[in-house]
Amino acid sequence: MMVYDKNIYKPLKAKLIEVIEESPLIKTFVLIPEHEFSFKTGQFIELSVDGIGEAPFTPSSSPQITDRLEVTVMKTGYVTEYMHNLKPGAYMGIRGPYGRGYPVESFFGKEVLILGGGCGLAPIRSLLYALEHIKDNLEKVILCYGSKTPSDCIYKPLFARLNSIEKFEAYRTVDKAEEGWNESVGVATKLLDKVKVNIEKSIAVVCGPPVMMKFGTLRILEMGYKDEQIYLSMEKNMSCGLGKCGHCMMGEYFVCKDGPVFTYDELKNTPDIWK
Amino acid sequence: MSENTKLTIEDLKKIRFLEGYTEEQLKIILQMCTMKEFKVKDILFEQYDELKDVAILLEGTLSLGISLAHEKRIHLGTIDEGQLFSWSAVFSPYISTAWVMAITPAKVISIDARKLNKEIEKDCDFGFKTMAKIAQTISHRLSDTRFQLMNQLIL
Repeated sequence: MMVYDKNIYKPLKAKLIEVIEESPLIKTFVLIPEHEFSFKTGQFIELSVDGIGEAPFTPSSSPQITDRLEVTVMKTGYVTEYMHNLKPGAYMGIRGPYGRGYPVESFFGKEVLILGGGCGLAPIRSLLYALEHIKDNLEKVILCYGSKTPSDCIYKPLFARLNSIEKFEAYRTVDKAEEGWNESVGVATKLLDKVKVNIEKSIAVVCGPPVMMKFGTLRILEMGYKDEQIYLSMEKNMSCGLGKCGHCMMGEYFVCKDGPVFTYDELKNTPDIWK
Repeated sequence: MSENTKLTIEDLKKIRFLEGYTEEQLKIILQMCTMKEFKVKDILFEQYDELKDVAILLEGTLSLGISLAHEKRIHLGTIDEGQLFSWSAVFSPYISTAWVMAITPAKVISIDARKLNKEIEKDCDFGFKTMAKIAQTISHRLSDTRFQLMNQLIL
């Protein structure tokens, strides 16, 4: 008889200790897992609520912290709406981590240009923590981030903090300004016009809604980046996380297993990558 | 608005838009330039104004937008340091397609468009570089507009 010592679908229990309201539609859940939980920045997890369902998210906390996990969730459907109503003290489930994250070791000695939009800042925040940890080995880190309005901009204190860290620069823009906004107005790609990078010694990371991913990648290619210098975080309908269900198939790849982080070089010939 | 003509070649070399021009070409551009300073809420030009200068923002932030009926201003975006604007001054009918207003104190380099067009016609290398840079600016604006439009259509 075959004996399974681990049920791969069984989640790890985690206690919700804090809920941070980032924007009208986005909340960050601070969780304490039952036992240590480690992940590589860019990898994703399946976050679940008993009896309701599960959904894939990329943790937004530092991969260096293993006793506490932060997951930023945008209210988009049945499961996420239920999650948004949870209060501290509730229990959630974590499966994972799954997939391939950012190869941060290969960023050593380079300038890192990050273009993010909307809720795409969640995985980027985790990446920024990881880059901060290795900043002595990096030349520069530049974040360009766009949101619809100032109210939709998540992790508001993050930008001042990043701009106070040596080698880090952070810029924000909004599609539509509100009273009191004195930063850039326009789409995220316009911020790329003002950054100064040594493209040969640089890599670019793009993470955000599909429209931004498309226009952002095209603009970054126009800047002179090569296909293999561009990393895309493709969050595509991951479900089982194990390469079995086929929900996330994109061309020859299972996003949940082969990604979610890919180079543009790997994906450029895949049909409908921006859908 | 106040004018200050004390610009040097070194000032021009720091401007990203002017990267790639030779020392000689920068000297020619310098002769066409004046620096202008604007206070908060100064209107640099209105939509449908006839434009005589191409401009590059040196310091500060400008707001760019269009006007609807009853002079209601729709703010479309900002112009950040180092960016070119007022490109309509180079092409017929030389009429602005948007208004521009200072939202912080701003320093702007104005380049006489009539003189610039003469140089573009005279010097092929200068002309190609200048037209390629202006085309890239317009292409980025168009791409950004499509991006905004798709955001509206999809979300």
